Amino acid sequence: MHNPLAFAPESSYTHSVIVLSCRASKPGVTPWALALCIGVFAGCGRNDIQVYRVAKAQEAGLPSALPQGHPDISAGTGSPTLKYKVPSGWQEVAPGEMRAASFRVAGRNGKQADVSVIPLPGMAGSDLDNVNRWRGQVGVKSVSSEELTKLAQPVEVDHQSAQLYEQAGESPGSGDKTRILAAIARRDGTTWFLKMTGDDALVAEQKPAFIEFLQSVTLPSATAQMGLPASHPPIDVGSQLPPSHPPIGGAGMEAQNAPAASSGQDKPNWQVPSGWQETPGGQFLVAKFLIRGAGDAQAAINVSMSAGDGGGLLANLNRWRGQLGLAPVAGADLSKQVQPLDVPGSQATLADIAGTDARTGQKARLLAAVVPQGQQTWFYKLMGDEQVVEQQKEAFTKFVQTVKYP
Amino acid sequence: MAPVAQQVASQGRTLTPPIPPSAPAPATGALRHASPLARGLDSALNTLVRFFTSLRLTVVCLALALVLVFFGTMAQDPLGLYLAQEKFFRSFFVSAAPMWAAIKKAFEMLHIYMHPSTAADVLYGSKLPVFPGGYLIGGVLLINLIASHFKRFAFKASKAGVWMVHAGLILLLLGQLGTDLLSRESALHLREGEARNYSETEREAELAVIDTTDPQADKVVAIPQGKLMSSKSISHAELPFTLRIKNFFPNSSVNNRTADATDAPPASQGVGARATVKDLPRVTEMDKRDVPSAVVEVVTPQASLGTWLVSEYIDQPQSFTWNSRTWQLVLRPRRHYEPYSLQLLKFQHDIYPGTDIPKNFSSRVVLDRPDTGEKREVLIYMNSPLRYAGETYYQASYDEDNHGTILQVVHNPSWLTPYFSCVLVGAGLLVQFATHLVGFTRKRRTA
Repeated sequence: MHNPLAFAPESSYTHSVIVLSCRASKPGVTPWALALCIGVFAGCGRNDIQVYRVAKAQEAGLPSALPQGHPDISAGTGSPTLKYKVPSGWQEVAPGEMRAASFRVAGRNGKQADVSVIPLPGMAGSDLDNVNRWRGQVGVKSVSSEELTKLAQPVEVDHQSAQLYEQAGESPGSGDKTRILAAIARRDGTTWFLKMTGDDALVAEQKPAFIEFLQSVTLPSATAQMGLPASHPPIDVGSQLPPSHPPIGGAGMEAQNAPAASSGQDKPNWQVPSGWQETPGGQFLVAKFLIRGAGDAQAAINVSMSAGDGGGLLANLNRWRGQLGLAPVAGADLSKQVQPLDVPGSQATLADIAGTDARTGQKARLLAAVVPQGQQTWFYKLMGDEQVVEQQKEAFTKFVQTVKYP
Repeated sequence: MAPVAQQVASQGRTLTPPIPPSAPAPATGALRHASPLARGLDSALNTLVRFFTSLRLTVVCLALALVLVFFGTMAQDPLGLYLAQEKFFRSFFVSAAPMWAAIKKAFEMLHIYMHPSTAADVLYGSKLPVFPGGYLIGGVLLINLIASHFKRFAFKASKAGVWMVHAGLILLLLGQLGTDLLSRESALHLREGEARNYSETEREAELAVIDTTDPQADKVVAIPQGKLMSSKSISHAELPFTLRIKNFFPNSSVNNRTADATDAPPASQGVGARATVKDLPRVTEMDKRDVPSAVVEVVTPQASLGTWLVSEYIDQPQSFTWNSRTWQLVLRPRRHYEPYSLQLLKFQHDIYPGTDIPKNFSSRVVLDRPDTGEKREVLIYMNSPLRYAGETYYQASYDEDNHGTILQVVHNPSWLTPYFSCVLVGAGLLVQFATHLVGFTRKRRTA
């Protein structure tokens, strides 16, 4: 529970004095005294920076302050499938933000080292960028890509090869001798950073234990990839309130009786064409469907919703063009790239683009429908093998045209 | 009948007695032989005094206020309450864009429909001032009232009523200014069993830079949204580094960065390195709000520590360590701490039997103030708020599962001024009327 004692402003509110002076002024006091207040009002800085001390929120003892239905954010739940063997002398600590696992290693004379396991989606920057960032943290100069290859030490993470980079120097902030051991492993579209940072001598001494730890790690499968911090609640792509957020503003009955703001992830009413297989789409998609064609050919349909115009047609078109390896188009050429789509009650737009899928290197085609609905915009994207997309074009447009929105 | 008619006429004059044409301005005689410059200044001053004491100015200001209130009300439909208030009443001038939005809405009453303006049209539209705003009209009216009062009325017992009426009006205007500048509305959301010693302003964010090194207490440096929007760089005695505001998005969406994203991530450190942030148009609806985000660079005297994306979407603080101290960055609704806490014991949602019609909403809370030892239970229900230490806690809303309450917290140091001024004006009118009544009856007796 919060300790109410804890609040002690260190710099007084500049306006509190004025508040008191206004409170003290009684109506009988000459208006000039009040008029003086005007001059002082200028000092009522609502924009002033405030400094205060608060007791540490002891969240464990607090009944959940999270909205109803909010996922548990307690530490340690973010990496259900990360497995490892803790080397002797390492103390496992709560992973905290971003980390899938965290350890503390204590050395002599109070020296410490910190071990972290951090998954990031995608490439998470090149090895060169990351190594140079770490080198900056220990105050040694950056290396070129040729020099980088010499620095990389092959190691095994989860029985697969990975690179270990070791850098030592002095921390620019504290001046302490610091060493960073960092391994980068890439699996299923996620980059894993396994890093030991701390006192130079201690980290050097712990290197064999760290390598042993790397070998013992079992990385989670692709489905357990993490993006935002572990167990982060789904992010609403719109500017509406988060799900279960209490209504704000109006204190009237109307506001009280209104249901909580929509999460924006409610599915509209639609008829899924045959051959479309619904799959989990991740937290930013309303729905995702897979269509398999002959052989390995396949295509996917992503349905998403965004508040407002979702960034506008041009920005989205150019984003899609980027996915197909095509150069962006200027606003003047926009009308040539898209065609109107007949959707009841809306001025929808259809884009049809062909190119090369930047991820697979395969030829691909993309059909995207943008359907504004009141304060929201719905995006339907069919992308994949050219032939599959051509076969599905009619079903896709019919699907978009017949969706009934909530 | 004649005396009554005379009395009415004279009453009218008491409020605005004509200046006797023979009464010279006190300094004019002395300036008769002064330099042309002094004479020019004197006449300019006289013109200024005449302008600010004129009754015509009062009438013009009242008429303009009428028009302002009309268009300000019209503008609330397309722009929403908060933006309309800011553009029409909390400003010295109304610029062309919001006025055009209001005019278009007004035309709808004549069945002439035009494409309605949006908040973005107003925020990024023409800034050309076209009409006086609330501050200007109110300010001029206040000066007009004070100036004409002191020019026309000497302090005499027979004019006590007029003095009281004018003082009441001045208090009313100043009180409203006080409310405008000093009042604050925030919300306190409590689940059953939970205690909090702060409320939050949902529509205003703050960047909390928290030094978490001390195991007992956190030191918070809270930078309000206004400062984030207006400053490029923020330094403070309590911060051993400078914060550079690289970007501020008043309304935004934050998403995971896809694996194939080609554009650079918004920040180099923390969540921002694997997220994308998108600027969104500001919302105007009452039941929605902006979700701000910012990209902040932490610059120490030695070097930059990198950039962080902070957003109300990212509710977990992002940490970094510098000079053996650990800091957290979090953008959150602005907090207002109190030296006491409220703990929700029970939220009650009563309905009329056999219906879903709400009968009463109430929150039983424990007020705990350790520095005075005060600890007591309070029942807050509709129309029965808790008034404590300058704050008023109203029962405003509740969680859908009926196990949480939302109290609206109003801090308004000048909340009593309208009451005082109404009493003062009423009493002034009574005194003035009684003074005349006494004089009139005396005259009748002598007649």
